[in-house]
Amino acid sequence: MSKTHMTPLGSRRLMLIMVAAVILLGLACFLSLLVGAGSVTPADAFAVLLGQGTTEAQFVVGELRLPRTLVAVVVGAALAVSGALLQAVTRNPLAEPGLLGVSAGSAFAVALAIALGASAATLKISVAQFGALAGCLCALGAARLRGVGDDPVRLVLAGAALSSLLIALTSLLLLIDLGTADEIRFWIVGSVAGRNLSDLIDTIPSLLIAGVVTVLIARPLAALALGERVAVGLGHRPGLVRLLAILAVALLVGSATAVAGPIAFVGLVVPFAARALAGPDIRRTLWLCLPLGPLVVVVADILSRLVVQPSELPLGVLTAMIGAPVLVAVVRARRLPTL
Amino acid sequence: MQHTQSSSIPTSGTVTARAPTGTWLIRLPLNGSLLVDKRALFAASLLTLLLLISIVISLCLGATNYSPAEVLDALFGESNPMTAFILNELRLPRVIAGILSGAGFALAGCLMQTLARNRLATPGIIGIDNGATAFAIASVVGLVTSLAPPEMALIGAATATALAFGLAGGAGTRGYRFIIAGIGIGALFGAFTQLMLARAHIDVANQAYPWTVGSLNARPENAVLILAVGLAIGLVGALFLARALKILRFSEPVARGLGVRVNACRYTSLVLAVALTAMAVAVAGPVGLVGLIGPEIARHLSSTRSVPFISSALAGALVMVLADTVGRMMLMPLEVPVGIVTAIVGGPYLLWILLVSPRNTP
Repeated sequence: MSKTHMTPLGSRRLMLIMVAAVILLGLACFLSLLVGAGSVTPADAFAVLLGQGTTEAQFVVGELRLPRTLVAVVVGAALAVSGALLQAVTRNPLAEPGLLGVSAGSAFAVALAIALGASAATLKISVAQFGALAGCLCALGAARLRGVGDDPVRLVLAGAALSSLLIALTSLLLLIDLGTADEIRFWIVGSVAGRNLSDLIDTIPSLLIAGVVTVLIARPLAALALGERVAVGLGHRPGLVRLLAILAVALLVGSATAVAGPIAFVGLVVPFAARALAGPDIRRTLWLCLPLGPLVVVVADILSRLVVQPSELPLGVLTAMIGAPVLVAVVRARRLPTL
Repeated sequence: MQHTQSSSIPTSGTVTARAPTGTWLIRLPLNGSLLVDKRALFAASLLTLLLLISIVISLCLGATNYSPAEVLDALFGESNPMTAFILNELRLPRVIAGILSGAGFALAGCLMQTLARNRLATPGIIGIDNGATAFAIASVVGLVTSLAPPEMALIGAATATALAFGLAGGAGTRGYRFIIAGIGIGALFGAFTQLMLARAHIDVANQAYPWTVGSLNARPENAVLILAVGLAIGLVGALFLARALKILRFSEPVARGLGVRVNACRYTSLVLAVALTAMAVAVAGPVGLVGLIGPEIARHLSSTRSVPFISSALAGALVMVLADTVGRMMLMPLEVPVGIVTAIVGGPYLLWILLVSPRNTP
């Protein structure tokens, strides 16, 4: 009994939930390959998966649907984990990269870099990560300032103000520079469709680094949840842990934004669900975020293809539709849970 | 606008009404009296002056610049037909739309802030703008009904407000829960707007676009008229409510004890705020931050004795006219929508309120 409590994944219930989530994710990915807005029917797509099918169907499944499914999986996992980390660091259940302006900072940095003459292809990822880091620091600076740190809701308001400012600046840039506008018009919306696999491959190093950092700081973060003094007593260094966590968040959000554009609410919804399923331990939440994040994004992406056939809906719209009610639900809870 | 408090307290024998410091007491016929706050009067006059100056500046500047003398000539006297046409037919309606919508947003913001007892609870932040926009676009793209966009904007604003208040748990809610619920609702309506724009035909989507950014470029003729009438009614209504709202800033039992019909007062001002927001959105699109900035300026200038409705409306009009002028001139051949200008100015200001200033409520 005591042994099962030693490891974060020890409990049987969590194991079951993990297995179920992974199976669901597999099904969702399969479905994502099968259905779409075009003329390729699920039966055609299934034939392609079995190694047959028309060339058109092969192209659609292999070149369009497979990349976007992969992108959705990676982006979902990155955003969900970054949300969980940010919430643990700020001890605030509403801290979400989109809501706090981290994604907006990342998008603005990319728009600025392109407007200043950088090519979209080469710089995007590092610039997006830098912007995300700046956004993170702004949000956390706000959290440290008087009063806001204790109050989840004020932090979100500050984030909303920051992102509305950044969004306005971004649209101003796009207005000034029509070339930039054309280059990033499709990127700025936030979608996993039509993204390059090469972009995704470029983000792998950063994602790996972020993953390693996350694994390293998971245990100290769990200790931090018990309070600063307890964490120090257990031999951790809270300042360093926070800094590493912010770096990981910036890498994750920057990569996700560079590939798919700004997508809001995933980092709120998924950790919220994960906590509800697995309890407040950050290590369990992080593990559960790995299959749940991709699950949410892949399902949202499938829906975005089906809702307004024959056209498609921006993914950000669907995540907002899922996320806004969750936000309201979190706030409506009688006592805001503190992390 | 309000009777002195000392006059309501019976003193021995004669009623000696003395004006509190900082006010003038004006005796009216029929035993009435009017208490004029010196500082509020000063603020209103200052804002009026600034507004007049900004109107003239806004009329002067454009693709062709005119001198203030030419502008005044064209407005009040004779000038050559070309100048008269540009100023009277092109620039003046735009400025008027700016004044009216700015005043509408700011008055609604001031009502909302007083009502929710939170200076951040403005229509723009709690998603009323987005609700109005979403419904107006539903009308533009021909969904659901054949109602005109302004009417749909009103329905949308009412829906968003009802949702925000309902989800936050009643009209008496103080504090931030209400605002966050509003942010969520705003995001939801924003998503619906995107959804409808994505579904619409490209021509229809272009037609609906001005609704989404907040611009004085496409202002429906009748919407401006409706707003003018609505603003007049709203101002009078707000002034009638001013005394009750002033007391409502204290706790609810105190207000009840002083004889304010709390719920009636709340719902009336809520209805006014929602209607004003919807009418202003119908003219200018979602330029919600004016509803935050206008009352803030007014509150800095006027005294805290009363709720500064008139100054708020004037300040909102001032901000709107200036922002529109800046937006027109900033990148000359291009026009920056007024919504972007106000977001760039208002975003940092909102942050500053949140981070630097202590927790206080109006």
